[in-house]
Amino acid sequence: MSDTSTVNTESAFKDQKQKMAISARNINVVYATPTGDIPAVRDVDIDLPKGSITGIIGESGSGKSTLIMAIMNAVTKPGKITSGSVILNGENDILQLSSEKQRKIRGKEIGFVFQAAQNSLNPLRRIGQQILDLGRAHEVNDLRELIKYAKRLLIRLGLDADRVLASYQHELSGGMRQRVGIMFSLVLNANIVFLDESTTALDMLSQASVLEIIRELQKEKNLTIAFVSHDIGVIADLSERIEIFYAGEIVEEGKTSEVLASPKHPYTKGLIKAIPKISGDIDAAEPLKGSSPDYRTFKQKGCLFYDRCPIRTNSCQDSRPELNITNRDHKVACFRVGANDRD
Amino acid sequence: MTTPGTAKSVHTFTPKSYNGASFWKAAWRSITRKTSRIIGFAIIVLFTLMAIFGPYLYSSHLPINTNAIYAPISWKYPLGTDFEGTSNLALIITGARYVLLAAALGALFTVIFGTVLGLIAGYFVGWSDSIIMRITDFFLTIPSFPLLVVLSTVWNFGHPLAMGFILGITSWGGMARAVRSQTLSLRERGFVEAARGLGLSPFHILFREILPNVSSYIGMNLLTSITGCIYAEVGLFFLGVVPFHVNNWGVMLNMAVFSAGAMSSPDALPYLLSPLLALLLLTLGIVLFLDAVDEMFNPRLREDV
Amino acid sequence: MKNFLIRLVWRIFSGILMVLVIASLTFFLIRLMPGDPVSAQYNQLIMQGMTPVQAENQVKVMYGFIPDEPVGEQFVNYIWGLLHFDFGQSISYEGIGVSHIILNAAPWTLILVFTGLIASFLVGVLAGVISAIKRSSPTGTILTVSGSLLHGVPQFVMGLLLAYLFTTLWPILPFGAPYDSSINPGFNGPFISSLISHAVLPVVTYALSSYGGWLLTMKSSVITVLGDDFILASEIRGLKSSTIIGYIARNAILPLFTLFTLSIGFMFGGSVFIENIFDYPGLGNLLLKSIDTRDYPLMSGAFLLITIAVIAANIITDFLYTFVDPRIRR
Repeated sequence: MSDTSTVNTESAFKDQKQKMAISARNINVVYATPTGDIPAVRDVDIDLPKGSITGIIGESGSGKSTLIMAIMNAVTKPGKITSGSVILNGENDILQLSSEKQRKIRGKEIGFVFQAAQNSLNPLRRIGQQILDLGRAHEVNDLRELIKYAKRLLIRLGLDADRVLASYQHELSGGMRQRVGIMFSLVLNANIVFLDESTTALDMLSQASVLEIIRELQKEKNLTIAFVSHDIGVIADLSERIEIFYAGEIVEEGKTSEVLASPKHPYTKGLIKAIPKISGDIDAAEPLKGSSPDYRTFKQKGCLFYDRCPIRTNSCQDSRPELNITNRDHKVACFRVGANDRD
Repeated sequence: MTTPGTAKSVHTFTPKSYNGASFWKAAWRSITRKTSRIIGFAIIVLFTLMAIFGPYLYSSHLPINTNAIYAPISWKYPLGTDFEGTSNLALIITGARYVLLAAALGALFTVIFGTVLGLIAGYFVGWSDSIIMRITDFFLTIPSFPLLVVLSTVWNFGHPLAMGFILGITSWGGMARAVRSQTLSLRERGFVEAARGLGLSPFHILFREILPNVSSYIGMNLLTSITGCIYAEVGLFFLGVVPFHVNNWGVMLNMAVFSAGAMSSPDALPYLLSPLLALLLLTLGIVLFLDAVDEMFNPRLREDV
Repeated sequence: MKNFLIRLVWRIFSGILMVLVIASLTFFLIRLMPGDPVSAQYNQLIMQGMTPVQAENQVKVMYGFIPDEPVGEQFVNYIWGLLHFDFGQSISYEGIGVSHIILNAAPWTLILVFTGLIASFLVGVLAGVISAIKRSSPTGTILTVSGSLLHGVPQFVMGLLLAYLFTTLWPILPFGAPYDSSINPGFNGPFISSLISHAVLPVVTYALSSYGGWLLTMKSSVITVLGDDFILASEIRGLKSSTIIGYIARNAILPLFTLFTLSIGFMFGGSVFIENIFDYPGLGNLLLKSIDTRDYPLMSGAFLLITIAVIAANIITDFLYTFVDPRIRR
């Protein structure tokens, strides 16, 4: 009677959990600065379903990159994770694991692709040698097979594999380095890949081809991808789910097509209005008023978007809004959802 | 919409006028941030005062007291006496002028030669760059101290101005190279291009646009240059290759070790140790102060965390 | 490969050119000496009754040139001699070849400075790494401060202090001379131990003076590398800490490599003070003594050798560096 139903709900719950590649709860990251402690990421919950592409968009300094780093427990000083749990594949909270186990997860279970501008490779070692280092660190038994796989990936990415493996980092162009970075993230067969502004420093053509490659690889290997960017066009193109980040919090999330077609949060609305459309008057594009949050904003009791919000009211200053469902899995954190501008 | 009841006494909001932290204010703050730097600064000020006013405190020929040769430390002779009975303290104080003056001049010459040549080479690239760099490399290659020693046979540069000049001539190489590379990278920057576009004369660009940006490097180098010059000149006098001009610490060291045999006879020890101590103290002061100068010129180092 | 060889040859050639330029400069420098001592000597010999030819030869032996010859000819003879490694003959050592004297003195300097250099490098680099990693802890601060202070103390001050401390105050080490003159040189125990005990203070002086520099430079280099993107990237890719430390070490020590090889070049000229204080018969002491006795051929010879060492070290450093840093290849 009730036993079977609880068993059913339990297994249903487990199924639900196992559908999540990453399930992060209550992530809080704080940066210690001369002007006080700044909450870079505040009480964030995020789910990355297996096989999905999630885009995380926000301004510079909104905390989106910090969130990704926090999930991997790789936040750099002076930042510190003050609370949170990250459940990987429905099993363990990786933030509670020993540092050795965490190290093994990084690279093998979760891959990371850096910004194109960063030099993510050791300038004094050849690419091939660094792949071997990677293999040895993760106890790969057949290193020769690893190299072969790396070569296959590189060819897939459109590079001359033999030449690249024998090269040093400075001998490769920016676009090539970016693809090598992608290869590094996949060579150990990670199922989850994080990309942090990976196309920001590339020209439009390289950007398009890198995005195309990411799309293809994702389909092939059923990867779970989280893509962080401040370029809404890229996110719109690539992701199926979208998370809008502002001042360390998620203010809106949902299916990309839905959120972009009918945005509910005033910030999202503002972001979209700020994009000039290819057809139409360029003056119709309206930038967001005000400026990015600084250390004073975080001391506010109320909504952090208050200073720039066109539909604010006095009651918005009293407390922070929570993420609430509007329909299906479209969530918004705003007291005034449903209201129009200048209401 | 304020009702009379809620209108509290309104403080006129007068924001502190933001005139931008002036350089000297910021500099002072850098110095006072750590006690060690204050100590360093105080030491340097002490020696500078010694250099400027020292000789005025004593008659131009220091009193000789044949009864007090190598006298032990006492209230009358806080640092003992030398082979003639003159107080070592007096010798140190009067000797400071030469040491610091020559070093300051030397650093000044080094910085002037180095900066001007570096700026020219870095900005007007081309044949002027090549020529200047060849000469600089030449001077950089020749080990400066042996060169100084060899030059001492040709020219007697005992006078502080001459000493400063010679020191400057032999040490501008490093400065020139560094200023040149800074200039090279700066000249590609936006503000220089803008200045060029505005039609400003190269002279103006060099001295009003580029020079201020290099000044941080110059400031730091001035101090380290002074240190280097002090050692060089004291060393030269110590080795005895430059004839005795006026009393200075290097001469004292030379006399102490080679004439007075201070190494073996404990009596003459204060005569040896006084200049050593003075040197060490001054070095300490400069090292401690250097920390502040570093921060003054490099705001990125102002970490409060 | 061909490019490489061409550059090498060109560098050696310009190096030799530079040496010749410096030699010429010293040549003319000597001529600038106040009160032409060469002519004075010549005249004195004439007055003593020698014939002009005899006086000429005598002076030639002593100074390496004949005063009445036109300067141009003197110069050519000098340069010609140099190219045959003939540095002339010493005045103070009564006609013994300068090259002979220099080559006898050089090993003393080499032992001293080389030992000191290696010691200070190894210890300094290690301390630099530690002070960089632990820079917010007391250990790091102590290391840095002690390094700065030692770095700031000039060589001769260090030498005098150490000499005083360990030869006068606590006479545990001998003072002066490379070895005890009462012992017969040779490959025997007493000689070698005497050598060592006499070398301790000079070597320690040199090492302590240079240690601070290595520490500070290495520390700054490590800090720079620690901030590099690829270190973070390596951690995020899950590389082992030992591998990452290896990455850091190799990248950080690269700039020090050039400093080290250049320091080897500066070895010859770098110990003037120490040799003077401790009476070590090396090149530095030779230079000073030759100045005292106005022994110009010897002086130019010593100076020239010191400079040649530096030039050679520069060239070697440049070329070795291309092998060590893959970013600078061809």
